[in-house]
Amino acid sequence: MKKISDVVWEIPKSYKAGMLTPARIIATKKILQEMDEQVYEQLTNVATLPGLINHALCMPDGHSGYGFPIGGVAAMDAENGVISPGGIGFDINCGMRLVLTNLTADDVKPHLKKLVDELYLKVPAGVGSKGFVKLSHNEFKEAVEMGAKWCVEKGYGWEEDLRRIEEDGCMEGADSSKISIRSIQRGVDQIGTLGSGNHYLEIQVVKPEFIFDKDAAKTLGIFPNQVVIMFHCGSRGFGHQVATDYLQTFLSVMHSKYGIRILDRELACAPFNSPEGQNYFAGMKCGVNMSFMNRQVILHRIREVFSSIFRSEPEDLGLHMVYDVAHNTAKLEKHTVNGEKKEVLVHRKGATKAFGPNSEGLPPEFAKLGQPVIIGGSMETGSYLLLGTETAMKESFGSTCHGSGRTMSRTRARHLFRGDKLQRDMEQRGIYVKSVSYSGLAEEAGAAYKDIDEVVGAVDQAGISKKVVRFIPIGNVKG
Amino acid sequence: MKTPVSILTGYLGSGKTTLLRRILNETTKKVAVIINEFGDIGIDGRVIKGKNVNMIELTGGCVCCSLEGEFKAAIKEIITKTNPELILVETTGVAEPEAIAFDLEESLPEVRLDSVITVVDADGIMMFPSIGHTGRVQIEMGDVILVNKIDLVNPRDIIKVEKKLHEINGKATLFRTYKCEIDSELLFGTYTTKTTEQMHKHKHDPKIDLFQISVDQEIQREGLSDFLSSLPREVYRAKGLIVIKNHGLHLLNYVVGRWDLEPMPGNYSSGNQLVFIGERVGSKKKVITEKLNEVLMRK
Repeated sequence: MKKISDVVWEIPKSYKAGMLTPARIIATKKILQEMDEQVYEQLTNVATLPGLINHALCMPDGHSGYGFPIGGVAAMDAENGVISPGGIGFDINCGMRLVLTNLTADDVKPHLKKLVDELYLKVPAGVGSKGFVKLSHNEFKEAVEMGAKWCVEKGYGWEEDLRRIEEDGCMEGADSSKISIRSIQRGVDQIGTLGSGNHYLEIQVVKPEFIFDKDAAKTLGIFPNQVVIMFHCGSRGFGHQVATDYLQTFLSVMHSKYGIRILDRELACAPFNSPEGQNYFAGMKCGVNMSFMNRQVILHRIREVFSSIFRSEPEDLGLHMVYDVAHNTAKLEKHTVNGEKKEVLVHRKGATKAFGPNSEGLPPEFAKLGQPVIIGGSMETGSYLLLGTETAMKESFGSTCHGSGRTMSRTRARHLFRGDKLQRDMEQRGIYVKSVSYSGLAEEAGAAYKDIDEVVGAVDQAGISKKVVRFIPIGNVKG
Repeated sequence: MKTPVSILTGYLGSGKTTLLRRILNETTKKVAVIINEFGDIGIDGRVIKGKNVNMIELTGGCVCCSLEGEFKAAIKEIITKTNPELILVETTGVAEPEAIAFDLEESLPEVRLDSVITVVDADGIMMFPSIGHTGRVQIEMGDVILVNKIDLVNPRDIIKVEKKLHEINGKATLFRTYKCEIDSELLFGTYTTKTTEQMHKHKHDPKIDLFQISVDQEIQREGLSDFLSSLPREVYRAKGLIVIKNHGLHLLNYVVGRWDLEPMPGNYSSGNQLVFIGERVGSKKKVITEKLNEVLMRK
């Protein structure tokens, strides 16, 4: 492993036969030493995929995932590269949304328990949970082509929400004729649901000592002792089915039709420009949009709950969005490659887009700052708001980390921690948790994750994002 | 009695659906299977729409179910409506298979996790040098691994595949299969001496056998734990009624190093039998009996 800087490490092409580019890991020495060894294998496998540009990249929160590591970034040549569901993830566009309030911790604390309990009722959690939005299959198909805009039109949100979402809440080119009936069946009643696993909704507080960039925080509407809401969820069974459908398709054509050989079948892929690749891209966009809708409806429910508990209109409570970022996507973007602007397909799996100041598509009110990046920590440790940078554009195709990243498997966490005990411990420390299951809670124990400060420190030091503020949780609904 | 639930997992195309079809055709038990899509398995019938689950009843008593709503609610609905002898969950039908396997018993007191069955295609393992993360998790989770499609690889490679699998999961019992040919009763541990003969009539692994030991005494809880922990790895399953001192009658279900004790109504009755199933377990009968007698002697 070659040291490029204190926080950038390179695995050379000579590591494995077939690597087209070196692989790079962004991490502090501590993180690198503790990193799951499978990540090296997976990342160097990714470096063998046709059309890969510059490096196969892994963010400091990287850990092993389906084919690609979670925390992986792979930019493919749009003309002769591939698209791979394993590089995007099953939970297409699982992502984060950050919402402001004009309430302080003192305003909220007396109502905290009621607030969390009510959110738990209104935002269903758990495997297979159903939402309150009832749609026919045709309405669903129409909706996933429109994304969050569909929700706003139906009254689930405000017009201003849309430009605070990556892609303005809709990835253009989503084509619902490219998704299976089964995927629709699985997704149709899941809009407005958290799901299970690492998905959650959290009430957090801005501690004055954790505001790192006062000006940026102010521009983004953040003030000391403020209460904010952060949540993490994705496209539920729908995205999962879209990915499964195309994995099957790709496995059947990859070698026989396109002659592509891969090292691990979880890397199943197809040429981006092939009919199969394009169909998946259009279907994946439906998944991305469904997830934006999911978070949009959840925001609507949050506004309703706050409004009923604090007996004020959501507008008067200042329930504005800061931003919504996607984790598991592939996007066609323009990047400078060898001095030339070029269209590339950037796979981000458990990685966040982190575009620098004045990038296209940023809302004018904070275009100068760069794109907001929302980093969810583990339940116990806290979360961050960062900004994208120029350096990210140069070094990581405008990408950064997405969370703290697991240090151990869910199975191991379940054996090591007890959910009920964890819940009591957290309550003693002032965090009120409501969860569908205790063992699900144990999986998400803080100690099952990397130190979020170390992870964020690494991307900040590497210059691919800039710290603005750290939030501390006081209430949590866990999926 | 708790309803046993088995989880069926494996890579796309490894043979899960073939196995399911075989189970539904051959089993003498009333099995409810939860699958992703009715079309996958090629069954026809009237779909009975439920709240959380849609079902098709098959001749012979088995039921095919496709999930419509929340998983746990669906399991409850299946038990209430059809009272199956066991439930088999095929994991491509659910979004987070890992979460389900490990969450099951805690969140659903009416069920017991019986076993995780992983189907692996031997040729797939040979064709791709790396086993991906998800494939690895599936292998790690398995109590039983069917090494399927052995007809597509040469015998020396099968040994390589088995070695690779054991490196990832040293505890699992491996069965070599062609088109998932395996006695479903063996998978579910429901067979008895009566079915052994039947089993041998099928073209199944002749290495598998079983024996019984009568237990006419109470056993101490700790002694029982010691005994079960000491079982050699050839024992794939053990089951039977047993009386635990100060705790009464229990149903023991042991699957590859993991066991479950379910309190049963009724009192001590003589002639309780513990059945041991596994690869050439007959040769281990003596050691196992000695160990059992040793813990039974403890005061």
